[in-house]
Amino acid sequence: MKQIALYGKGGIGKSTTAANLSAALAGEGLDILQIGCDPKHDSTRMLVHGTWIPTVLDLIRERGDANITVDDVVHTGFAGVRCVEAGGPEPGIGCAGRGIIATFQLLERLEALTGDVIVYDVLGDVVCGGFAMPMREGYAQEVYLVTSGELMSIYAANNIAKAISRLSRRVRSRCSLAGVICNAKNIEGERDLVEEFARRINSRLIAYIPRDRVVQVAELQKQTVVEYAPDSNQAAVYRDLARTIYANTTTSIPTPLEMDELESFALEFVQV
Amino acid sequence: MSSNPSPSNSSRFEGCTLTGALSVLTQVRDAVCVIHGPAGCTHHNFSLLHATILANDRVEVPRLLSTRLTENDIIFGGEEALEKTIARALAATPAPASVFVLSTCIVETIGDDTAAVCAKPWGIPVIAVPTAGFLGGVFETGIRNALSSVATLASPAAEVTLTANLIGEKNLEYGVDENAAELARLLSRLGIGINLRFVRGLATEDAARLGSAAVNILREPSLGPVGEDLLRRFSTPYIDSFPAGLAGTCRFLEEAGRICGVDASEAIEEERAYQAEMLSRFAEIAGSRVCFRPPHPVLNPDPVAEAVAAECAEALDLVVDPEGTVIPLPYPAPVGTAGLRRMLHRWRVLVRGKGRG
Repeated sequence: MKQIALYGKGGIGKSTTAANLSAALAGEGLDILQIGCDPKHDSTRMLVHGTWIPTVLDLIRERGDANITVDDVVHTGFAGVRCVEAGGPEPGIGCAGRGIIATFQLLERLEALTGDVIVYDVLGDVVCGGFAMPMREGYAQEVYLVTSGELMSIYAANNIAKAISRLSRRVRSRCSLAGVICNAKNIEGERDLVEEFARRINSRLIAYIPRDRVVQVAELQKQTVVEYAPDSNQAAVYRDLARTIYANTTTSIPTPLEMDELESFALEFVQV
Repeated sequence: MSSNPSPSNSSRFEGCTLTGALSVLTQVRDAVCVIHGPAGCTHHNFSLLHATILANDRVEVPRLLSTRLTENDIIFGGEEALEKTIARALAATPAPASVFVLSTCIVETIGDDTAAVCAKPWGIPVIAVPTAGFLGGVFETGIRNALSSVATLASPAAEVTLTANLIGEKNLEYGVDENAAELARLLSRLGIGINLRFVRGLATEDAARLGSAAVNILREPSLGPVGEDLLRRFSTPYIDSFPAGLAGTCRFLEEAGRICGVDASEAIEEERAYQAEMLSRFAEIAGSRVCFRPPHPVLNPDPVAEAVAAECAEALDLVVDPEGTVIPLPYPAPVGTAGLRRMLHRWRVLVRGKGRG
C-alpha cells in the first residue's frame, strides 16, 4: 500500500490535484482512498459530484465515536475512489488539529485505512501538531508539495518542508519528501523557478501542471477533469502525474531554506 | 499544640495556579466552584484540599464540580459543557449564593471563552477566574487571581468602620485560625475589630462589606498586587504582611494605629510587657547553644524567619554555635507574639531533648 500526502498553501489547487490524481489512479485499476484533512471538507467533493458527504467529526459529534461504521465514513465516488472527509469543529471554536488526530484514531480502529493508494489532502499550512498527523505514525510516507511559482506559495512549501525535515529525523518516522508538483499560475519562468526551488530543498520537480480553463469548467460541472473531459490535454497531464507518482520510489529528507536564502532566491528569479 | 510544619512546607513559588485559587475559593462557604476541564483536574484538587485540611484536623468537603471535558469537547469546544455544568451548580442543594468558574490549561489552549459564558444572566454571581497554569502562573498567582475575583462581589461605596480585613490567609496551613486569633487579639488592643477574613469561611453576601474596613492586612508581601487592587477599588490602605517577631509585632501595632488614626503607644507598651512575660517562661533555656538550619534541605531559609529566630535567640541569651542543638527555622515565619510562643515551645523541647540525650 502506497500512502501519499499533498501539502501546500491554501487555494493552490491541492484538492483539485488530489481529486484528479485519485481519479486517474483509479482509472489504472487501483483501489484508491482519498482522505480530506481540512475542516472546510471540500477535498473529495468533485469525486462525489458536488455532494457534501458527512464528515468523520460530524458523525462523532452527532453519534459519539462508538456507533460509527466504515460505511458511515467512507463514500464511494467516481471510478470507485473511496472518499473520507475529516471535517472539523465550527469555525472559531474548539480544536481542529485535535479533530484530525481523533479522525485518524477512528479510521485506524475501523480498519478503514486500506487500498492500493491512500491520498491524504491536508490543510494549507501545518498550523499545529494535529495537521502534521498524516506525516506521523507512518501514515503518509511520501509527501508531495504542491506550489505555484508565486512566492507566497513557495514560502508555504518551504515551511512544510521544515515540518517534514523535523518529523523525518524521528526514529520511528517513515515520512519523507517525494517531490514538488508545480500547479502553474502562468507566471513567466514558473517552471524553472519551482524546479530550482525543489533542487535547493534537496528534492525534484515531479510534475508540471499547466493552467487550463477546463479545470474550472469541470469544477462547475462538479466533476474532476479526468471524468468530465477524459480526452483533454489536462486529463492526460493528470494521468501522467498518477503514473509518475505510482512509480516513484525516490524520496529525500528536505533541506528547507532559511529566510534570507529564500529572499535572495526570490530576487534571483523575479524580474522587478 | 505545637505547629505542624509539614502542610505549610509546600512551596508557593511553584505549583498549580488552579490549586492556589481553590485554596481561596473553597472558603467562600456558600459558593460552588466549577472547574472547566478534564475530570482529573477536579479530582486531584479535591483530594489535595480534602487531605490537607484533614491533616490540619478539620473535616471539610470542598464543593467542586467538573465540566468533565473529554476529547470531543476539546475538538468541538467546551462552552456547551460549561453552560450545562453551571446550570448543574445552580441546581445543587443547598443552593449556592455564587459560582466561581475556574479554567484549566486545556480550555485556555483551545480558546474557550469562559468569561463570556459566565456573563450570561444566571441570576446569581457567576465569576470567571483565570487559572490556567501553563500560562506561567504558580500557586501564588492562583491565590491572587481568586482574591481579586471574590473582590468583584463587593459594593463600591461602603461606609468605613474601625475594622480591618485579613487578606489572603493561608487556608492550607496548620495555624491559620490561631494566626487569625492572634491578629484579632493584637488589633483589639487598638479597638480595631475584624471586618472580614478575606477569604476564610466567608459568605457571599458578606463580601459586599469588603470596602468598609479601615485597613487591609495582607498575609504576606507577595499579595502586594491584591493590596494595590483593593486600594484602587476602595481606597483602603494596607499593611503588607502579618506581624513577625518581637519588635515587628510592636511595629505592626504602630502602623495599624497610624493608618486607623488610633494612638498605639499604650497598646505597644502593653504588648511589650506581655512579650516579656511570655519570654520569662522560657528562661530555663537561657545560655543554651543552638544552631539554626533551614526547615528542609531544598528550602532556602526565609529571611524573615531567620531574623525572628536571631531576635528571639538574643532575647533569651541563647548562644548560636555550629555545635549547638539543631533547630529548624520556622516556615513560614511565626505570626505575632503567640506565634513566637509556639515556636519557643518547640525550641525548648529540642534543647531539653539534647540535654537528656
